[in-house]
Amino acid sequence: MPREAEPSLNEKQFVIQALQSNLRLDGRKFDQYRPLEVSFGEQYGVVEVKLGKTRILAKASAEVTVPYVDRPLDGIFTIATELSPMASPAFEVNRPTETEVLLSRLLEKTVRRSGALDTESLCLVAGQKCWHVRVDVHILSHDGDLIDAACFATVASLRHFRKPDTSIENGVLTVYTPAEREPVPLGWLHSPFCVTWSFYGDEGEIAVLDATWLEEAVRVGSCTISLNRHGEICQIAKLGGTPVEALSLLQCTSIALVRVKEFSALLDKKLAEDAKRRDRGGLLAELSAENDR
Amino acid sequence: MPLDTSSYSLALLRVDGRRWNELRRINAQIRTQAAADGSSYLEMGHTKVMCVVTGPSEPFGPARVGRTGAGAGATAGASGGEAGVVVSIVVAGFSSVDRKRRGRGDKRIQELQSTISSALAASLHTHLFPHSTISISLHVLSQDGSLLAALINAATLACVDAGIPMTDYVAACTAGSTSTYAANDESADPLLDLNHQEEQELPGLTVATLGDSDRVAVLVCESRVQVSRLEGMLAVGVDGCKQVRAILDRVVRDKGRKMVQEGTVQKGVGLEDMEVD
Amino acid sequence: MPITIIAPKPAQQRYAAPQDSPDASDSEEGDDLSEGGADLEGDISMGHRPAKKARTDGKYEIVTPGEVITDDPQWMRGHGTYVSPAATSIISSVAGTVTRTNKLLSVRPLRARYTPEVGDLVVGRIVEVQAKRWRVDVGSTQLASLPLSAINLPGGILRRRTDTDELQIRTFFAEGDLLVAEVQQLYQDGGAVLHTRSLKYGKLRNGIFVAVSGMGGGGGVVRSRRQVWTLDAANGGGQIDIVLGVNGYVWISKHVEPVLAEDQKTTPTTAGPITNAPTTTGITNLEESVSATMYSSQNDRIEVETMREIARLRGVITALVENGLRVDEDMVMKGYHEAVEMALTYGEGGQDDVYLGGERGEQLAAVLRGR
Repeated sequence: MPREAEPSLNEKQFVIQALQSNLRLDGRKFDQYRPLEVSFGEQYGVVEVKLGKTRILAKASAEVTVPYVDRPLDGIFTIATELSPMASPAFEVNRPTETEVLLSRLLEKTVRRSGALDTESLCLVAGQKCWHVRVDVHILSHDGDLIDAACFATVASLRHFRKPDTSIENGVLTVYTPAEREPVPLGWLHSPFCVTWSFYGDEGEIAVLDATWLEEAVRVGSCTISLNRHGEICQIAKLGGTPVEALSLLQCTSIALVRVKEFSALLDKKLAEDAKRRDRGGLLAELSAENDR
Repeated sequence: MPLDTSSYSLALLRVDGRRWNELRRINAQIRTQAAADGSSYLEMGHTKVMCVVTGPSEPFGPARVGRTGAGAGATAGASGGEAGVVVSIVVAGFSSVDRKRRGRGDKRIQELQSTISSALAASLHTHLFPHSTISISLHVLSQDGSLLAALINAATLACVDAGIPMTDYVAACTAGSTSTYAANDESADPLLDLNHQEEQELPGLTVATLGDSDRVAVLVCESRVQVSRLEGMLAVGVDGCKQVRAILDRVVRDKGRKMVQEGTVQKGVGLEDMEVD
Repeated sequence: MPITIIAPKPAQQRYAAPQDSPDASDSEEGDDLSEGGADLEGDISMGHRPAKKARTDGKYEIVTPGEVITDDPQWMRGHGTYVSPAATSIISSVAGTVTRTNKLLSVRPLRARYTPEVGDLVVGRIVEVQAKRWRVDVGSTQLASLPLSAINLPGGILRRRTDTDELQIRTFFAEGDLLVAEVQQLYQDGGAVLHTRSLKYGKLRNGIFVAVSGMGGGGGVVRSRRQVWTLDAANGGGQIDIVLGVNGYVWISKHVEPVLAEDQKTTPTTAGPITNAPTTTGITNLEESVSATMYSSQNDRIEVETMREIARLRGVITALVENGLRVDEDMVMKGYHEAVEMALTYGEGGQDDVYLGGERGEQLAAVLRGR
């Protein structure tokens, strides 16, 4: 298994010493994110998120299937993460590394278990037909803070996604094409976002947001906090690492809430821009093209 | 079966009759397996786990080849300079009410393994054992909530038994809050040490702290909860960890005293003798 | 290294009457003296007698991880302790008992893996063969290494190592072979380098292996005057060798008369118990006999009587460990004689019974404590 080359000893030391004198290598403040770029694809549900050099592509899709026997009234919702060797030689196909397992668990807990998507609205015919919504998260380039970027991409793609409209008449299910009926958005309840803190120092006294790959390699611990803009915690994960004072964790949570509100506003803005763009060209142009023929 | 939380406000007693700040009975033993380097058995209420520690030892033969793969366990800091901590968890099929077989690839188990491995690696003095591996094998015999906390406590005890130097105990317990997230109830009481029923119904978190300090090694929250309630839950949890640490410490001391009494280990110099000269 | 074996008699009193304060304090002093000897710090027990007297109330000093041992900056920290980065206090990192050597404070763990020291006699098992050395499992945290240059090569005891030897390294020791060796030096990181450059050491055969806990802490084999001896077994079992490796690995085997009695001529220091029976072999066939037997993996014929006595000795050692008694020559010999007597009473219809587990082991331990 090819391993990722660790940063050299003096490089590590340099980064840590710089952090101890309140300096990050890219000049950001400790609680500052790299510029977050969101771009939506032509299709509904395709999102590319860039956080510095970290690039993530998420695509949501839906198909009609049979619901699980034990949950006949719920639709199915899955999140699949894919860390390919494209992002880093340490990732192998079909062999999840620890990073990948933890990432997919975190997304699962943040988005799925917190009930962001209303799975009951995905049910079509109880016990027989339901929508299976699936988000594929592909890591295209890895330069740290995968979790926050991946979570943002997942939420963005689900909120951007439109599933085909359906109707049931006399027990016959009809799925309409986008041309017949405008696709409908998913039943969305709240938008959770992850904020990951990285800790440095013997007692984890230095806390940094949005660590780059190099900063992640030298950190002594991390804590991922998922919140929505209503101030609800969806998940907290500080999985081991150097112990950190309980009080500073509480501080981290309150700063995280501020960041989450910013994320939320950013996503709302981007979605609105995209909707505007589509509205002007989109459906009208298509209809006129049909008329021409 | 939904938990009847309404009765709590009347008598201030929980489903199993505890008050908000009471731990369940913790029963622990160390050195349960004579052949292992370190071993422990821990009960927190009806959650029962066993732990066996092998090492620190240098892996050799086929094991060395197998270890480099992701394999069954999770590794932390296995680079040449310090010992790697490999944790593997086996959940017995009979441990919970519904018999469910969990595969090796279960992501939840893998997450637990990596959490325990990295929490202990931060306390254990792994730099003393270059090229070695400390392998911790945990068996879950019965589950009734606070599983991660019980696993961390059992692993800590087994590492103490194995004589692996560490900064301090890593003690863990859970904390929760009465009434669910939806009810924006500011007067909700925090609860200590959730059982399975409470864990299903109420928001809760698992905390592990290092020794007697307020320093949090593990903080896992998997349910929706108002951010304002975090502080109360965390405070109760950290306090619970201190109680748990005292209980674990007593177990180790009792065993040590017994061994000195039996003459298995030589007696030490008293602390009060330090000031003699 | 001056070592005093703990006098068994006071130890018994501690068992029989722990609440009996005058007796108990006596026994503690006896214990302390012997302990001081083992740790090269005989002077300390003197300074401590008053304090010892003061805590005969059954208070046993155990420290646990995270416990502050002392705030006094005059002490130096030893094994099993660490200093917190913020303060100067010495904190224990293991559960165990505090020991001191002059100004050095250390904590002896209740149980730990064997930590090698130079001069230790160890029994080990080859787990890996490399180009110029073997890796040996000695029950420590790391594998020990045995360089090719540190063994007795066949065909003359002190000859130089050649390329041919490197090529046929497996003919000396292969994976799975057991050997007895001495720790020659330690690496900085705690790894041990072994040597077998004496006829006392080398490959083991004709017997069985028992693993108990070693010198890391928590009972088992202790460092003592003699780790290797030969005994005359009862019931016509012939002579039996016992090797108590300091690492807790024990080897019990049939005694084979060495053919190399005149090795005193070449290596006068090897007057060990194995080689102390002089026979007459000419210097001319010395070379052949060395190469023939030294690295042989073939067992000799072992009589059933000898096997039975070997099994009994193994039973004695396991019973000692299970009941928390130390394993040294004195205890093993006493235990063995006791076991032989016990077998006479238990044996049904003249059947000799070597079983020493369970209740019988406890009984044996009780008798040994009672001495």
